[in-house]
Amino acid sequence: MTKYNKKKKWWKDKDFLFYCLLIAFPLAQFLIFYVGVNFNSILMAFQRIDIQKDTIEWTVNNIKNAFQMMTGSAELLSVMSVSLIAYVVLTGLSVPLGLFFSYYIYKKLPLSGMFRVILFLPSILSAIVMATIFQFFFERAIPTAMSQFFDIEMMGLLENSETRFACILFYNILIGFGTHVLMYTNSMSGISQEVVEASQLDGASTLQEFMYVTLPMIYPTLAMFLFTGVAGIFTNQLHLYSFYGSSAPGGISTYGYYFYAKTKMATSVAEYPLLSAMGLLMSAVAVPLTLGVKWFLEKIGPSED
Amino acid sequence: MMKRKEKVNWTFMKIVLLVGLIVYAICLFGPVIWGVITSFKGQADFRINVIGLPKEWVWNYSQILEKFVVQIFTDVGTVEVGMGEMLMNSVLYAVGCAFFSALIPCITSYLCARYDYFLSRVIYTIVIVAMILPIVGSLPSEIRVARAIGSYDHIWGMWLFKANFLGLYFIVFYNHFKSIPQTYAEAAKIDGAGNWDILLKIMLPLARNTFFTVMLIRFIEFWNDYQTPLVYLPTKPTISLGVYHMAYTTINELSTVPMRMSAAVIAITPILILFLSFHKRLLGNLTVGGIKG
Repeated sequence: MTKYNKKKKWWKDKDFLFYCLLIAFPLAQFLIFYVGVNFNSILMAFQRIDIQKDTIEWTVNNIKNAFQMMTGSAELLSVMSVSLIAYVVLTGLSVPLGLFFSYYIYKKLPLSGMFRVILFLPSILSAIVMATIFQFFFERAIPTAMSQFFDIEMMGLLENSETRFACILFYNILIGFGTHVLMYTNSMSGISQEVVEASQLDGASTLQEFMYVTLPMIYPTLAMFLFTGVAGIFTNQLHLYSFYGSSAPGGISTYGYYFYAKTKMATSVAEYPLLSAMGLLMSAVAVPLTLGVKWFLEKIGPSED
Repeated sequence: MMKRKEKVNWTFMKIVLLVGLIVYAICLFGPVIWGVITSFKGQADFRINVIGLPKEWVWNYSQILEKFVVQIFTDVGTVEVGMGEMLMNSVLYAVGCAFFSALIPCITSYLCARYDYFLSRVIYTIVIVAMILPIVGSLPSEIRVARAIGSYDHIWGMWLFKANFLGLYFIVFYNHFKSIPQTYAEAAKIDGAGNWDILLKIMLPLARNTFFTVMLIRFIEFWNDYQTPLVYLPTKPTISLGVYHMAYTTINELSTVPMRMSAAVIAITPILILFLSFHKRLLGNLTVGGIKG
C-alpha cells in the first residue's frame, strides 16, 4: 500500500500528485452536493425569503412553525401516524417474509432459482409502470371479477377509503423484497456447511435450523437493514406519487410523500425555508433514533462466540 | 456426467414456504399479465370486457409511439415532446448517470484502498457515517443549489449531481480493490509502470466485472426513475416521466386504460429484456456485511 513520504516535498511526490489529481473531482462534488447542500438546508431553515424585495431575513420562526405544524396540525399528525403504521407493518411483515423466502432460496429447494428471479423482478421494473398497472387492477379488474364470479358489487379498492391504505401497504410489501432477499441469500450462502450439518446431526428441525443457525449467522446483514431502514419513517413515500400524483387522498400520506409533493408543488423558493425547517426537525429525530436502534440491535445481537 | 438431484426432505415449513412463494408469484404476475392483455384491447371492448381476453386484438402500441406527446412549459411557450425525444432523454440520462455514479465510487474507493493517506481514511469514515446517519428533507436545498450553479434542467447537471462516491457501491469497490494482492502493483512498478499504468492497465481491468454490474444496476434505477427528472429536468421528460404524464394527458384517444397499459408495456420492455439477459450477473455476488463503527 502506498504511504505518504514525509521526506519528499509533496510536489515532487508522484504518488501524492496522482492521488490529488484523481481525488479532486470526487471531493469537490462531495463538498458541493453533500456538504454544501446540507449546510444550505440548515441555513434555509432559518431564513425568510422575500421574493418581491429580493431579501433574506434570519429567523427562528420557521422552526417554531414547523414544530407547531408537525405536532399540532391534524394533517401532519395523520401523516405521522400513517408513517409509523406503514413502517411497523412493512417491517413487521416484509422482513420475516423476506428472511423465510431467502432461506428457501438458500436451501436450493425446488424452483428456488426461478423464485429468486421473481422476487427480484419488481426492483428492476419501473415504479410508475407497476403502480399504473396495479392501480387499474385494484380499481377495475378486482371489482369486475368479484361481480362476475361471486356476484358481489364493490367499489374500486383504491377509491374505497376503507380498503385504500391496506391496498397501498399490500402493494409495497409485494414489490419490496428484491434487494433484501438478494442480500440475505448471498449472506446465507456464506454460512459454513459444517455448522449446518452439525445442527442437523443434533436433530434440529427446519425451523430450529433457521432460528438458531441461519438467523444468528446473517445477523450483521439483517441488523444493517433494520437500522438503516429506520429513516424510512421519514422518507418512505409508499409509491403514493406514482398512484396519485401530488393529490393523494387524506389519511394515507406519509412524511416522505408529503415532503416530496410539497416541494414539487412549491411555487417559489419562499416556500422552501419552512420545508427545510421540517427536514431539519425530522433529521433531528431520525439521527438519534437510527443510532439508538443500531446500539440496541448490537446489544441484543448474537456474540461472535 | 449428469449431477444427480438430491432428494428433498419435505418438512411442514418447507411446504408452507413453497406455497407462500407460489401465492406471491401469482399476486405479482396476475396484475402484470392482466395489464399486458388489456394493452391489446380497444376501449369499447375494455368497457364491457374488463378481465377477459380481447374480443379483437388491437395493436395500440403504434398509436402510442406516434401520438403520445408530453406538453412542457418553457420561456418561449408550450412545447410538445414526442416519444423519440423522450427515448433520447432517457438514454442520455440513464447511461450518463449510471456511468458516472459507477465510475466515481470506483476511482475513489481505489484511491482509498491502495493509498494509505490520511484523506483516504477520512473519506472511508465519511462513507460509513453517511450510510448510517439519515439526512432527511434536503430536496429544497438541492434544487436551490442546482439552480445556483446552473445545472438545473440540464442532463449534464444530473450526471454531475449523481457522480458522488457515497453509498453501498463504494464499499463494494473498496472490498474488491482491497482483495487484489499488493504484489500485482509492486511487480508492475519494478517493470517500470507508473500510477496511471497500474490504474488503467491492471486495476480497472480487474474491476471491470464489478464495474459493469454496478453500472447495470444503476442504469436500471435511472431508467425507471421519474421523480428526479420530474423535479430537476422540467423540459427534458424521460420515458418513465412520460408514463407518469400519461395519467394527465389531454389527448382523448390516449387517455384510456388500454392505452395506458400499452405505454406501461413499452416502458417496461427494454428493462425486462436487459434483466433477463443479465440476471445472473445482476443477482451475483453482491454481499454486504455489518457496518462497524
